[in-house]
Amino acid sequence: MAMLLRTHFKLARTSIKENRTRSFLTCLGIAIGVASIVLILSLMGGISNLVRSEINEIGSDLIVVRPKSTKDTLDSIIGELTSANTFEKSSLTLSDISAISKTEDVSAVAPIAISTNTIASEKNTLSSVSVLGTNLDFIKIEPLALRYGAFLTENNEENSVVLGHTLSLALFNTINSTVGKTVSIMGEKFMVVGVLDEIDQSISFDNVDFDNALIMDIKSLDKITGSTQIQQINIKAANTDSLAKITDDIKETLTKQKLGDQNFTVAYGDNITHPASSLFTIVSGMLTTVAAISLVVGGIGIMNIMLVSVAERSHEIGVRKAVGASSRNILMQFLFEALILSIIGGIFGLVLGYILAFIISIITPFSPYISWEIIIVSFLTTIAVGIMFGIYPALKAASKNPIDSLKHYR
Amino acid sequence: MSENVLIELKGLTKRYGYGDTESFALKDFDLTIKRGEFIMIMGPSGCGKTTLLNIIGLLDRASRGEYILNGENVAGISARRQASLRAKKIGFIFQNFNLIEDLPVLENVALPLVYTGYPRTARLKNASTALKRFHLQEREYYLPYQLSGGQQQRVAIARAIVSDPEIILADEPTGNLDSRSSRIVMDELKAIHEEGNTIIMVTHNPALTVYATRVINMLDGHIDTDVKTVADQNLPQPISVKIKKKSDSSTEEELPKPHKRHKSRRKK
Repeated sequence: MAMLLRTHFKLARTSIKENRTRSFLTCLGIAIGVASIVLILSLMGGISNLVRSEINEIGSDLIVVRPKSTKDTLDSIIGELTSANTFEKSSLTLSDISAISKTEDVSAVAPIAISTNTIASEKNTLSSVSVLGTNLDFIKIEPLALRYGAFLTENNEENSVVLGHTLSLALFNTINSTVGKTVSIMGEKFMVVGVLDEIDQSISFDNVDFDNALIMDIKSLDKITGSTQIQQINIKAANTDSLAKITDDIKETLTKQKLGDQNFTVAYGDNITHPASSLFTIVSGMLTTVAAISLVVGGIGIMNIMLVSVAERSHEIGVRKAVGASSRNILMQFLFEALILSIIGGIFGLVLGYILAFIISIITPFSPYISWEIIIVSFLTTIAVGIMFGIYPALKAASKNPIDSLKHYR
Repeated sequence: MSENVLIELKGLTKRYGYGDTESFALKDFDLTIKRGEFIMIMGPSGCGKTTLLNIIGLLDRASRGEYILNGENVAGISARRQASLRAKKIGFIFQNFNLIEDLPVLENVALPLVYTGYPRTARLKNASTALKRFHLQEREYYLPYQLSGGQQQRVAIARAIVSDPEIILADEPTGNLDSRSSRIVMDELKAIHEEGNTIIMVTHNPALTVYATRVINMLDGHIDTDVKTVADQNLPQPISVKIKKKSDSSTEEELPKPHKRHKSRRKK
């Protein structure tokens, strides 16, 4: 059997070589499909890695409390995407924060409440600016670098704000003389006490784009907007060894605080990235589906060319059968040819996909992510495509009547 | 005696079509072939010669009847078993050679061995030996189109005998050849026969029957005449005029081949 496989392999090689242009074009179809899948998976992997690396940068002492989504399913995630304000009805309150801060081994607790407001300066008025309401602990947990000025302090927290780098430019057309000026939010005036440094990371676990955000005290924000939704509470643990225990303690405290209602989640480590990761999973899933369609098109190309090949080689099939080839031998011969076409296409596609991913990584902040999983998945996919689309032509070849086939002169 | 029987056909019938279009290529055909015979089957077009050859060669199946090959009834065996028997026991020679154009001569000859499970080196070695016999070893790596018709047919004969089959079936092997090539091909077949091989050959050319040990004339799917030409191979006798007349459909040129001259040349 193994010997016959080698013969089939050799035959397929000869046949592919003989129809070079045709084989190349067929492989190209598969290569494009595989390349797009590899490209998407490696870029998505790159993005996930970026998110994960940010968590690592912040430190392993981070615990995050989030209101629980009604259901942690695809539907709810898509629902979050489409609704204007994520976590519209947050279950977290300001009193939860003080409760958590009393928990053992907790060194800092900062809420994150994002709302969208219109902000006016002496020069410009901007609508739809992200306003991040938090407290003084925030800077202890998220080590934001300030370009000018300082973060909120106990003395000025009620009427001060910190601007993101890009926002400062948009409001005042400058960054270096922004500190000390005033901005007004819903009629209330606040003084700018600091401007953040430019942040090169595009994604953060807070879901905040700090470059374009305004940071202020959550109580002040609550006062001017009336109702603040806390989307997340960041907690810094004093002792990194007992994160699980601290997490359990926080859960207990909050459950008590909320009278047994467990409408929140407490996460640490890799679980923090979960909402972002599941979003990427959906997006990459959809993109992969689109790429898979192009792979199917490539597969149809294989089937097409194999059908042509079978028709052209009727005579050869007849001769082979006359000298003793069984239908199975013929089936294997043509299936092998289809398989080799798709595998060659797959290898080309893998290389092409990574080259494209590297080219894209030059323009974008994330580096492509190469893993064995991607290589194995794309390899298995091409084998599946080769068999799926090669089996019909091969069956057709195998079922040919040798007497009729021998009458086929070319 | 019965040990010497290679093929036994009993009541073999091959029907095409149904109802109004029903026709019989073979009808209640009985034939016993002994090992070592050189049988020529003659007859007008459409008398079932090729169908008979295809059924004996396990390329086709009879609608009804028994086919006993080497004591085994092979009329109802699976297609896979048919293929395996074809590979091991049957060698085909065709009018149009039926070589695979994309494969070099050597690999064409080695083709039957692919399906009998020989390793590659053994295949090519055997094929090379077979080609040597037909004085074609220098053309091993030629492609079929680079050879003359006679050479191609010799390659085809080499392919037919490479797996050392029990029966060699030849369907008008000289039909596409000029007289000179025909003679060479027939001489090769005769030599193979003299080594003890069984050959069944279909032909339209009555002149070729000088090579046969038995001439069967078919008409409308059954045997018309069945004549044993010679018992002694060294003294082939000319065919009776009666048979010549029957094969009225023969359109091929007569071979201007005095048998004796050829024979003497071979002895040199």
